[in-house]
Amino acid sequence: MTPAIEVRQVSFEYGPHRPVLTGLDLGVRPGTFLAVAGPNGAGKSTLIHLMAGVLRPQSGAVFLEGRDLRSYGVRDLARKVALVRQEFVPAFGFSVYETVLMARTPCYGQWGFESREDRETVARALERTDTARFASRPLGSLSAGERQRVFVARALAQDTPILLLDEPTSFLDLRHQVAIYDLLKSIQQETASTIVAVTHEINLASQYCDEALLLYPCRREGPPSAHPVSPSDYRIGSTREVFAPEEIRRAFGVGIFSGVLGSERFVLPLGERAKDANLLRPPDVV
Amino acid sequence: MHPPLTPRMLLLRTSLAATLLAAVLLVCSLVGPQEISLKAALQGVQVAGLPNPDYEILVQVRIPRVLLAAMVGAALAASGVIFQALLRNPLADPYILGVSSGAGLGAMLAVIGGLGWTLWGRSPIAVFAFLGALGTVWLVWALGRITGKHQVTGLLLAGVVVNAFFSAMIMFLISIAKSQHLYATIFWLMGNMTEEDWFVLWVGGGGILAGIVALFFLGPQLNIISVGRQDARSVGVRVERVELAAFAISAFITAVAVSLSGLIGFVGLIVPHAVRLVFGPDHRQLVPLSSLVGAIFLVVADTVARMVVAPAQLPVGVVTAMIGGPFFLFLLVTHSKKVYWAT
Repeated sequence: MTPAIEVRQVSFEYGPHRPVLTGLDLGVRPGTFLAVAGPNGAGKSTLIHLMAGVLRPQSGAVFLEGRDLRSYGVRDLARKVALVRQEFVPAFGFSVYETVLMARTPCYGQWGFESREDRETVARALERTDTARFASRPLGSLSAGERQRVFVARALAQDTPILLLDEPTSFLDLRHQVAIYDLLKSIQQETASTIVAVTHEINLASQYCDEALLLYPCRREGPPSAHPVSPSDYRIGSTREVFAPEEIRRAFGVGIFSGVLGSERFVLPLGERAKDANLLRPPDVV
Repeated sequence: MHPPLTPRMLLLRTSLAATLLAAVLLVCSLVGPQEISLKAALQGVQVAGLPNPDYEILVQVRIPRVLLAAMVGAALAASGVIFQALLRNPLADPYILGVSSGAGLGAMLAVIGGLGWTLWGRSPIAVFAFLGALGTVWLVWALGRITGKHQVTGLLLAGVVVNAFFSAMIMFLISIAKSQHLYATIFWLMGNMTEEDWFVLWVGGGGILAGIVALFFLGPQLNIISVGRQDARSVGVRVERVELAAFAISAFITAVAVSLSGLIGFVGLIVPHAVRLVFGPDHRQLVPLSSLVGAIFLVVADTVARMVVAPAQLPVGVVTAMIGGPFFLFLLVTHSKKVYWAT
């Protein structure tokens, strides 16, 4: 089967000697919910922006549904991929409804107005994300959790087979984190979308995602010219394999406590104090 | 809260504002220190073989003047909307990228270069101001591109610095200028609405109208660009193309306005905000409504400017700030809760 997203030998650097991703190779099957995790600076956001076509790799290529991303026009691309980003600019008091409707901009008629079909798509997106209740409120008046659901709604209104999210649960409390993952899971199941979410919530991702990609930190010690750039170090596979406690410890360089609850495995980071306290039995600690 | 914009709402509001503008144009062209009657003016160029003074005043003085005020008000308000959207900065106005100081310097050089010579039979001030304005915006745009393709901060800073540098040059030229040049320059810098050349009005008005119509069709794209360039791109908007078109058009209509009337502050900053506060932030509506409201506002302000100390005249900028300021603060206090930081 053609992968929904394929990353072939992709390298990206933000400047000379500042490589972020090197020779990355991976595929995401259609209908998969993939979590992308890893330490800060490992290139998670970079990867998702490369998949969305916002950034272009210096070498290698990204394929969407088997077609080179570079061959897509701006509009074609917007029909394939929707991106939910972290930043939010509270500009000019647009309402929730207006914000979600903006996803339909390229579909407007010649006089610059939306069609009935556009309005129906928006209504469905609002309904599904449970944001229809505050559709007429200004975006700036919402809580972070509500706002994040609105941005997911806007991505849904774009009506794309691929949905990319950059840390959709940052700034959210536990209840809202769960709510976002519930929402993404239901979207995946109802529409068979391919979803890729960058996240730091390893335990939630383990519960909800089918597969995980763990990016290990890039090694950048010493002068860059001293040694050739080694390929990016990463693991991709089922969440269970990739988020194994040893892998997490290696990626983040922090002690890990792991436990099992039913069929789910959980990991907790351990600070120095927890180890000193000697409260944990050795088999639990990796 | 504002209900989402529908084509019917837009049509209704735009036609109401256009009707109001027509009424304001008519009334203000009849009002002035010299009383004239519409009935007398309509009798034509000559009455009983003698020139008709009412007709002459109306057609050669008043109508050109209100039309010029309307054109300039519309151009400044429309480009205020665009600059605020593109720079994602509510403090932006049409002059923020250097149009004002560039035009001022151009006008200044024309004055100092010698008022005596003419360009196609006309004073070169307007042409020089126009070229100065466009040249400066181009310079600032180019500097902004160098400092950061995707950042507005570089563009804004370049605008501020170029504005400051050219303003300093204007001050320098003023301080070494001869007194007869001084008067002409300061008169121009304060803004004035005297233009009796119908050809210039037709050309300028046509350019401004075409520009505003073009900007209207960028409305949907401007909505999402005003929220974020990246977001606009990822829903499928060709951001660079829209931005370049919107910048170029609004710089052009501002340059036309400034070269015809000199520097008139406040309209381009306040009118877009006032319209946004009352009718909502949708740019499909903001562009046409702000243009019409800007036109109405400047025609009224200019009429007040020539009436209060008649037969002398106040600079129209004094009136725009003195009427517009308190009115805007009133709107801000009564409406802002609903629009900018509603809960």
